[in-house]
Amino acid sequence: MVSETQMQPQEEMFSNEQITQHDLPQLEGLSLEPISLKYRTMNLFFVGVFATILITIVSALRFNPFFDLPEDLAYAYPFIVAVIGFLGTLWFTYHWFADTKIKYAVREQDISKQSGLIFRGLSCQPILRVQHVEVKRGPLDRWAGLAKLQVFSAGGEMHTFEIPGLPLEHAEQIRQFILDHKDVSAR
Amino acid sequence: MTDQTTPIPHEAEPVKVETGDDWRRLSPIAIVYFTVRNIINTAQGLVYAIPAIAVSFNAFDSFNSPEAHIGIAAIILLTTSSGIISFFMYKFRVHNQHVEIHTGVFQRRYTNLPLWRIQNVKIELPFYYRPFGYALVVLDTAGSGKEEAKIVAVPLDYAHALRKRVLFEKAHHNEPLESATAQSSQHGESVSDSQDVAAEEVLNTRSVGDIVIHGITNNRVWIILGAAAPFYDDVFGYVSEWLADKGLQLNQLVGEQAIAWWQFSLYAFVVLMMVMAAMALLSVGGALFTFYGYTLSRAEDRYIRRSGLLNKLEVSMRASRIQMITAKQDWLDKILKRVNLYFEQNSTASQQVQELMSPNKLIVPSVTESEALALSQEVMPGCDLHRQHYQMISKRFILHWIAVAWTVPFLFAVTVGLLSDHTDIVLLAIGGFTSICLLLTLRWWRWGIAFDERYIYVRRGRIGVDYLCFEPYKVQQVIVKQSIFMKRRGLATLKVVLASGAVTVPFLPEAYVHHLANTVLHDVESTRRSWM
Repeated sequence: MVSETQMQPQEEMFSNEQITQHDLPQLEGLSLEPISLKYRTMNLFFVGVFATILITIVSALRFNPFFDLPEDLAYAYPFIVAVIGFLGTLWFTYHWFADTKIKYAVREQDISKQSGLIFRGLSCQPILRVQHVEVKRGPLDRWAGLAKLQVFSAGGEMHTFEIPGLPLEHAEQIRQFILDHKDVSAR
Repeated sequence: MTDQTTPIPHEAEPVKVETGDDWRRLSPIAIVYFTVRNIINTAQGLVYAIPAIAVSFNAFDSFNSPEAHIGIAAIILLTTSSGIISFFMYKFRVHNQHVEIHTGVFQRRYTNLPLWRIQNVKIELPFYYRPFGYALVVLDTAGSGKEEAKIVAVPLDYAHALRKRVLFEKAHHNEPLESATAQSSQHGESVSDSQDVAAEEVLNTRSVGDIVIHGITNNRVWIILGAAAPFYDDVFGYVSEWLADKGLQLNQLVGEQAIAWWQFSLYAFVVLMMVMAAMALLSVGGALFTFYGYTLSRAEDRYIRRSGLLNKLEVSMRASRIQMITAKQDWLDKILKRVNLYFEQNSTASQQVQELMSPNKLIVPSVTESEALALSQEVMPGCDLHRQHYQMISKRFILHWIAVAWTVPFLFAVTVGLLSDHTDIVLLAIGGFTSICLLLTLRWWRWGIAFDERYIYVRRGRIGVDYLCFEPYKVQQVIVKQSIFMKRRGLATLKVVLASGAVTVPFLPEAYVHHLANTVLHDVESTRRSWM
C-alpha cells in the first residue's frame, strides 16, 4: 500500500526525463505499486457470501417442509452443492492469488497497470490520449472505502483502462492528476 | 472565382445556407422518402412474422381473397399516410451557425447541431430523388451513428452549399487551435471558392470491369440476399421446378438408391457448381449495386468517395482522421493481383453492419497492386506496404494454439472414433487436425511486424494476406501481454490500440516488444500530435 504522502509529490517525483532515441523511458523497468489489499478481501468476502447464499437457497428448497421435490432433484442435491462449492473455491483461489498481482504506476505522461495470474498484461495509457476519467464505486466498493478508476480513450469501450481497488483518495488524486495534465486540460 | 463579400461560400448563383428565424419544411418529395423508410421499417419488423403468417394460411391461395386485398390496401394506405404525417411533423432551420431539426410523430425529437461540431457530411441521392435534383444530407457528429441528423430532402445545390459551409465553419473554428494561421486563411479562401468540383482531384475511379472482379473475389452476396430475404421460398420453388423440367428430380436423387455413387456425386458437383455460379453472379450484382461509378477524390485535406447504382452515396473523410491503412488480399485477389484498400477512421465498435457504407472505413475496391501502393503513399507519404523485412513471430505460436485449443478436441474425437469402431470419425479428426496445423503454420508464416522512423507495419493472414500500416503517434494505448510460459521463453505479445481498433502481434521476442512499446509511447507523448 502506498501512503498518501507518497502520492502527493508524484508530479515531481516521477519523471520521464532523459530523452534520446537510444535511451527511452523503459516500460519494463517501472516500479509498480500494488492496489489496496482490501480489494482482495472484498472479493473473497463477496465470493464466500455468494456461494453461501446459493447453497442456502438450494438447501432451503431441498429440505423445505411445504412441498416435496421430484425424486431426481432430491437425488441431484449433493452434486449441485458440490459443484457450487467447487466453483466457489476455484473463484476464491483465483482472487486470492490474482488480486495481489494487480499493480499500477503513474508517470508524468502515462498510467500503467499490470494484472493477470497466468497471462500477465501490462497496459499503458498515455494521458495525452485520455478523453475522460471516471471514478466508480459500487455498493461493495463504498463499504470497503475503495473506488475504481476508469480512463476512456478513443480506443473504444473494449479498451477502457481500468484500475480497480484503489483507496478513494488515491483514485480521486489520480483523476485530478489526469485532469490537471496540460495535455488534457488544454483541449 | 466569385468576389468575396461575405465568408459564406458562393455558388455561381449564390445559395443561402442560413434559413433565418423561420422553420423550414422539406420539399414534398420527402414524402416519398418517409414512405419508403416507413415501409422498410415495417417490413423489417414483419420479416420475423413471415414464418408465422405462412404457416397459418397458404399465402398463394388467399392472395386473391377480398380480405387479403383489404389488408394490403390498408397497409399501403397506412404507410403512405404515415409518410405524409412524418413529412408534416418535420421541420428544420439553419440558424446562427446551428442546424436545428424537429422530427418524430409520437416521439418528438429536437436536434441542435453546431455547424463546427459536424464531422462528416454525407450527401445521398436515392434514385427517386435524382430526376428532381434533390438530396438527403446526413450530418454526422463525432459520437455514435445514432447521433447523426438527417435533412431529408433539400435541393442538391443547397446540400452542396451546406456541406461547404460546414467545412468552412470547421476550418475556422479550429483555427485558434491550429498553429498554422497562414495555411488556414488560405484554407478558408479556397473553401469559399465556387463549387469545388474543379478543386477536387480524382485519385481513383473503378470501371465496371474492376467492380465485376471485386464481386467475384469478394463475397458481396449479402447485399442482394439481404434485400431478397422475403422471396426465398418462391425462388427455391421456381428453381426446383426448373430443375425438374430439365429432368433432375432432387427428391428422387436423395430418396432412392437407384443410381450409382459416381452419378450422385456428379450431380452433386453440377448442382454445387451451379450454386457457386449463381452466388458469384449475385455477388457481382451486389458489388455493382454498391460500387457502380466509384470515384475517390481529394479536395483540400479530405478524401471523398462516391459510388452507387441506384442510391448514389457520398462519404468524405479528413486525411488527418485516417488512423490506419489496410490492404487486404484474399487468395483469389492474390491470383488476380488485386487489393482491397481500406482507410480506417475511428470506429464505434457496435456498428459493424454497414461496413461498406460506413464513413468510418473508406474502401477502395479491387485496385491493382501498384495502384494500392500509390494510393497508400498518397495517404501516408513514404510508406512501403510491401516491404520485405518483417520481424516474424515465434514458432511457439503454432505449438501454443495446438496445445491449448486443438489437442483436447482432437484426442476426444479420436478416442470416440476408436471406441465406437468408426474409422470415418478418426479419419475426419486426423484430416481436420492436419488442416488446422497447416492453417496455423500459414498464419505463423504470415504474421510479422516492422517499423521504420515514421510507420509501423503489420503483415498477417492465413491464405490471403493483409498489410496494415499506421503512424505510431496515433496510438491510444499500448498493452504488453505475457504468459508465464512465454516469459520463460523470452516472448511477449504486443497489442496496440488505435482509434480504429486494436492490432495484435503475438509471440514476439520480449526485448523487441519492449523496445517497440517504449518507442511508440515516446512518440505519442513527446510529439503530442493529435490523433484526429
